[in-house]
Amino acid sequence: MAAEGQEKLWETKKYDDVRIYSDEEIWNYTDEELANYKCKHDIPLLEELEEGPWPSFVSDIKQEALHRHKLPPDKLMIPADVCDDLLGQVELSYVEKETHWKHGGIVGVFGYGGGVIGRYSDQQEKFPSIWAFHTLRVNQPASKFYKTDYLRALCDIWEYRGSGLTNMHGSTGDTVLLGTHTEQLEPIFFDLTHDLGVDLGGSGSNLRTPSCCVGKARCEFACYDTQDICYELTMYYQDELHRPAFPYKFKFKFDGCPNCCVASIARADMSYIGTWKDDIRIDQEAVRAYVAGELKPNAGAFGDRDWGPFDIQKEVIDLCPAQCMEWDGKELKINNKECVRCMHCINVMPRALRIGTDTGCSILFGAKAPILEGAQMSLLAIPFIRVEKPYDNIKAIVERVWDWWMEEGKNRERLGELIQRKSIQEFIKVLGVPAIPQMVKEPRSNPYIFWKEDEVPGGWERDIKEFRKRHPR
Amino acid sequence: MASIDEIKKVIVDFATNTKKTKFYFKDMEKAVQKVIPDAKPREIKKAATALVNEGTLVYFSTGSSTMYGLKGRGISLETEETGKAD
Repeated sequence: MAAEGQEKLWETKKYDDVRIYSDEEIWNYTDEELANYKCKHDIPLLEELEEGPWPSFVSDIKQEALHRHKLPPDKLMIPADVCDDLLGQVELSYVEKETHWKHGGIVGVFGYGGGVIGRYSDQQEKFPSIWAFHTLRVNQPASKFYKTDYLRALCDIWEYRGSGLTNMHGSTGDTVLLGTHTEQLEPIFFDLTHDLGVDLGGSGSNLRTPSCCVGKARCEFACYDTQDICYELTMYYQDELHRPAFPYKFKFKFDGCPNCCVASIARADMSYIGTWKDDIRIDQEAVRAYVAGELKPNAGAFGDRDWGPFDIQKEVIDLCPAQCMEWDGKELKINNKECVRCMHCINVMPRALRIGTDTGCSILFGAKAPILEGAQMSLLAIPFIRVEKPYDNIKAIVERVWDWWMEEGKNRERLGELIQRKSIQEFIKVLGVPAIPQMVKEPRSNPYIFWKEDEVPGGWERDIKEFRKRHPR
Repeated sequence: MASIDEIKKVIVDFATNTKKTKFYFKDMEKAVQKVIPDAKPREIKKAATALVNEGTLVYFSTGSSTMYGLKGRGISLETEETGKAD
């Protein structure tokens, strides 16, 4: 995510403008040297992990360890053997079945309450090079589109000032830089913001780095421009992203359609899922072509096995969760009023079926992982809203929700937990939306209905004297 | 409406005198609203941010949640890095 004013930096900037290492320094070891590389510490348990058929993080870290040992010392700002010490400490944890990382701290960059996660070793004498091994979260570009020039420059900075190890990407979506020392944090932040034009992401009790699916950039199912709103809300809520004042974390995730490629429904406190109001567009010719076997179902995604001829009845009509489709051998009919936007029919026959043209998104709230009360999926609260610049309608909802959560939320209470504690009824009152059947999670188990006075015709104000005239003691 | 300086003063008093050396934003908010009932969360956040920028308060982050503390009280960068406070 480019810093404001630097959105087009990489249209003209090249890797050579900011590179630190020469080609010879980057390609500085042979396959033979790598195969014979011996880590500074004995790591038999970790080396066992390299023997399976899968790619191994141990092999990756060894590769970086060898590479660092062969770089000139004046081109490394933290010790060359950080990767060796890291492997040594992980091996120790495998033996003892205990972590040796101390968690959290006051480290960070000036003025920011997030983006840096403090990590310290509690075995600093054994593994001195990783006495500190802080993580940095870097705000990824929308939909994770990169230029190779940018990635090379990022890797150079990280090899120079950090361990060279990255996690592309963390589950939040950020580019995660794993392991550096405290004194390198400010210089890295300077390099990221000035040379690369990117900012740190969110961590702690902040708005976390918003993330979005590939959206209209490549996907015909996108019902709104996920990248644009992701960028807009990231920039608009910079203060919430960097200066923590929430009860706990808060996540926005933007899915262009109900296929939910960034899994917003399972992970975001506020999930934006693209949808449409009108009918699914049907090309009857193309439907017949699918049935005749002229077009491959699922765009050929399952073509590696012979599943037999395509059976529209069995593979589409009977699987519709709303049972709102009908095929008479010539024509496909959809009762759109009953469609629940499962996307199955559109995914199977993308040439024949397309999303409607009256598009926007549904907003759902409160998904979270299992800490309190178990994991939960988002609650549909706004069935349809327009998603158009400058997104003022959406910002108004965001702020209403934040005001309520900041007022009522307990320390470390996610929005979903607050909704559970205070009730959906209370939450939709805050949003100012009416209750709808889709909000009902399960048949009610509580037999009592508590009416509010304004919901009862005539209210319940009584004149006690009038009452006593009719009902003497 | 309270000025930012008044809110900052209440925050510093709270950070100095509270038993805990690290506290959540919510705890600080409650302490401010006890003295200045009409102080809004956003004003308190602005005051706390100003105190962080001045170097009076520090953030303490576990990675998942964030707390505030008075600089020099309780854990410091030095004790954190050497592990001597443990």
